Formats: sequence, C-alpha cells, structure tokens
Amino acid sequence: MALTKTLKEQGIKAEYNSFDVSPRFETLTALGIPHFELFLEQSMKEYMGRKLKSEMVAGWIMKTPFFSSLFNMLPALSQMILLGHIIDKLNADPSLHIVIDAPASGHCLTLFQSTHNFKDMFKDGLLVEDINKMHAFLHTPGNLEIWITTLPSRMAIQEGAELGEKLSSMNIDNIKFLANGNLSQVPYIKNKDAELPEFLRQKVTMEDEALSDISDLTDSKIGVLPYFTDIKFENIVNSANKYLQGDFKWS
Amino acid sequence: MELNNKKIEIFCGTGGVGKTTLATSRAIHLAKIGRKVLLITIDPAKRLKQILNLSDDDSGEVQEVPCDVFEKELGEFKGSLHALLMSPSHTLKRMGEKSNSIKDLDNPILKILTRPHGGMNEIMATIEVQSRISEGEFDVIILDTPPGKHFMDFLNASQKINQFFDKTFVEIFKYLGKSIASGIEKEKSIFGKLVSSGVKKLLSYLEKVTGAEFVDVFVDAVAALYKNRESFLAALTFQEKLRQQNFSNWFLVTSVEQHKIGEAKELKDEAIEFMHSDNFLAINKCLAPYIDNWEESNPDGQILRNSMLERENELKSFAKTNFKTILEFPEVLGPSPLEHVIMLAKNWEKTL
Repeated sequence: MALTKTLKEQGIKAEYNSFDVSPRFETLTALGIPHFELFLEQSMKEYMGRKLKSEMVAGWIMKTPFFSSLFNMLPALSQMILLGHIIDKLNADPSLHIVIDAPASGHCLTLFQSTHNFKDMFKDGLLVEDINKMHAFLHTPGNLEIWITTLPSRMAIQEGAELGEKLSSMNIDNIKFLANGNLSQVPYIKNKDAELPEFLRQKVTMEDEALSDISDLTDSKIGVLPYFTDIKFENIVNSANKYLQGDFKWS
Repeated sequence: MELNNKKIEIFCGTGGVGKTTLATSRAIHLAKIGRKVLLITIDPAKRLKQILNLSDDDSGEVQEVPCDVFEKELGEFKGSLHALLMSPSHTLKRMGEKSNSIKDLDNPILKILTRPHGGMNEIMATIEVQSRISEGEFDVIILDTPPGKHFMDFLNASQKINQFFDKTFVEIFKYLGKSIASGIEKEKSIFGKLVSSGVKKLLSYLEKVTGAEFVDVFVDAVAALYKNRESFLAALTFQEKLRQQNFSNWFLVTSVEQHKIGEAKELKDEAIEFMHSDNFLAINKCLAPYIDNWEESNPDGQILRNSMLERENELKSFAKTNFKTILEFPEVLGPSPLEHVIMLAKNWEKTL
C-alpha cells in the first residue's frame, strides 16, 4: 500500500491489487490509494468470452458444472487467469504500474509456477498462445520487479531467501529483498547512548545479526524499513510511504 | 485450564504469525507427556523443515523426529514425535497403490498438478489426513495449515471434491466410451442423447481453448481420479468430523508483531462454519511480560514502549470480544528455531 502511495505521489500512474484476497477497502479509500479488485468468476467469463468471441457462449460454459468443478479442482488455473488479466490491463495502458500484494511464499511460487505448469499441460490451443505472451511479458526487462518482504528475523529471512532462489530458478531475476520493521532504526535505539532494557537489547541484537546474514544468503539488492511507532495501521502506511520517499535506499 | 484429548489439532492463521513454530511446540509438548504425535504441514512454504531440520527429500514420507535434542531441555519424553511434509505426488501414489490404479495415475497432467507447487496441495492434504486418521497409528495429528485464504481452500476442499464427483464428468465419460468405477447410474435414452449433444459442444469449446491433445489426456486424468473416488470421498468424513467438538481443537494463531487483527477476525468469521466452540486464539510473540518491567524516562523510549504496548492491548481487547479462550505466548528471545520451539513447549506446559 505504501509503495502504491509513493508511486502515486511521485506522479506515476499506479494501482494496488491484493490479488486473490479481499482488499482492505476502507484503508485504501481513506489513504487515497488507487486500487482494483479482480472477481474470479467475472474475470474467467470475460477471458473465455474473448477467446471464444462470444460472451453468451462463455456465460453458458462457465455455468456448466463441468467448468466450475474444473476450476475448483485446479485453483492454479484460476490464479493464472487472474495474472493474465493483470497483464492485459498493463498492456492496454503502458503508463500503468500495478503493485501486487502477492500471496505468502509457498503460494506465491504456485502462482508463478502456474504459467510453467499449464504451458506443459496445454501443448496447443488458445491458452498456450496467452501463456507464451505472459512469459514474454514477465521476462521482458523492466516489466516485473519482485520485492521479497520479510520480518527482520533469522527464520523469516531464510524463508525469503529460499523463495528468492526458487523464483530465480524460474528465470525471474529482478528480485529485491526488503526487511520490514527493523528496531535498530527507531530514533530511541539509533541513539546509542540510550540504555535499553535487556529484552529490547536482545531483540535488536538478534535482528542486526539476522540482517547482516542476508547478504550471505542472496545476491539481491537489500532494503530495510524501520519499525514505525504509529499505532493505527493507516498511520503506519503513511510513515512507510514517507520513508520510501525520503531516507530509504537499496544497498 | 485443561485441554481435552483430541484426535486432531488445527493451527491456522495469516502468514508470518508463527503457526508452524507454535504447532511444532504443541507437538513436542504432547509427545513429552506421552502421546504418539504426527505433525503434518500443509503449508507449501514448509517452514517445518527449517525447524525440525528436515530436507525437501523427506517430503511425502512420515519421518521420526529424534526427541533427545528436546529432552536435554524438557526432560524425559514418554511419547514420540513424527512429522510429515505434505507432498501431493506421494499422496497420489499411495492412493494408486491402494486402488491398484498406479498405471492410470501415471498421467502427464496429474504429474504436473501434483508437483510441489502444482496447486492441488489443499485437496490432496485432506485425503492424506483422512488416510492417516483411518490407519489409527497416531494418538493425535497436529495440522500446520496454509496461511489466510488458502486455509479456507483447505476447509472447502470437501465441497470441491463433492462437486467434482457428482455426475459432471460421468456424461463425458459415457460420451467418449471411457470405463470408470461402478456405481454410476445409467442415463435414460432421450435425456442421454440431449446430454451427449451438450457434452459434444462443451468438449469442442474446451478443445478450442486448451488444444485437442490436452482434452484427451485430461479426460484420462479425470477417469483415473474417478477410479480413486473412494479415497476422495473418504476425505469428506474428515471434514464432517472437524465440526465435532470431541474430535478436534482449533487454534487460530495471531501475532502482536504485526497488524493482524483484521485478518484474524476475517479468518475466524469465514472458518466459523467449520469450527465448534473448542477454539482458541493463540497470541504469539507477546511483549507484555517484558514491557511491564520496562520503566522509561527518555521521551523517544516512551514512544516506543507505548507503541509496543498499545498494539498488543488492541489485539488483546479484540481477542476478548471475539474468542472464548485466549492463550498468550511470550516472544522468544533466542535466534535458533530450536530455542523457539523448546521455549514455547515449556509455555504449553504452564498454560494447559
């Protein structure tokens, strides 16, 4: 959300999408973050309608138990069609940037793996043409950037690094690593004179050690966002937005 | 408070809240007090392998977890601990062995769909769990489920299976002259003809979109699944049982570290249809035990202290109004996964 707001405030046309989960509409609206939601059934109907050149036929097909149970049993197929929808939207408006709030690591891999899997499955037919277009789009330099976002803890960082490795093995290269909620950058802790309570000292040490390990685990660029002391979620997004436009840098 | 003995314990929640760590610590605790425990992770992220030092090669087969490493800290173990990293392809293979249909299941589409990230994880997981319950080898099975919406996919798997195995594909098989399992009613002749013409049209559209070769292999794949419909339909029993209070405990895990109140509430509201009243909100990474002893005069320090405390209090007040029982687990200040699960296992001893 913060990144979409940052892009918007920098004059870039950007929209937020929470992919296959319901977005936080109230927060998005309150913060003035442009967003869109994809409805699976509608997306599928539109897609099939375009492929078969008939909305009516597509409507009939989608209502058959055969197709609905097919999509139920193959959730990755639905995800791939949603991804295709997003790419169509980008192709229709080259000035648009879409920030996808992607599923958690295992399911994120399922999403990116879906294009490979279904390409292996459909040898020919209209879907393969689209999958090839999706591949071409995702692998065109400048079209896709992935931010692996993790908490600054050893286990989370290791899981993030594994995700990065697996994405790289699918030839997805433009990957960055963002550690979120780092205590060392909170003003009170930055001030080295402050005498920290023992638990906080231990927490900060653990985070620092985990962060120093990232460069051993990945060749990706690394960024760190501080722990923001705001209480309300909206305020945290605003603080992250300000930070992204200010002190933030990739190393 | 004491938790009743149940066959199944389910740990669910959004991503990054510590479901796997907490589920593992619970499994360790139950093994220590004498149960024969199987811990299954359905989450394709498989953080469990990090925690228990397993490798991807261990996926799909039940692994015995040596408890000596925990005994040093927790004392003697009276039971045992086993772990299973869910692997859809292994589950499919086991099904095939049972139904003598290995050859039919050796289908290119099924192979792709049951890859580690092929997308059939949640559905195959329900079959695997039911199969383990039927075998009755373990006293308790602990499930570490996928995050957020994918947990609902797991809970909804039975509905999807049900829909899949209705007459939808039977008409297609009949039209194509495919042989499948028994128990399918014969269509009446006039209705049969009408169905056949609809099927023909449907298949022609499918061919157009997916290619002819796919349709052939796909129909074979579905026919192979139909031959295993008993295994699939047995999984419905598991999902029905989840609703029974004497069968399962539910732990919705959340963390004070992140702004997860909304997500936790949403998940509870969606899962409530499957849950019964023995459900618990497990609040992980609580800082209050530490913050309570933190006296601060520095204004910046006070801001940080208040921020941590208020976020935690906000979560706890949500918890009080939405859950009957709340379990609190303090943040573990140790870097290794092993330290985390051991400390949390000690906490289970104190809590329950």
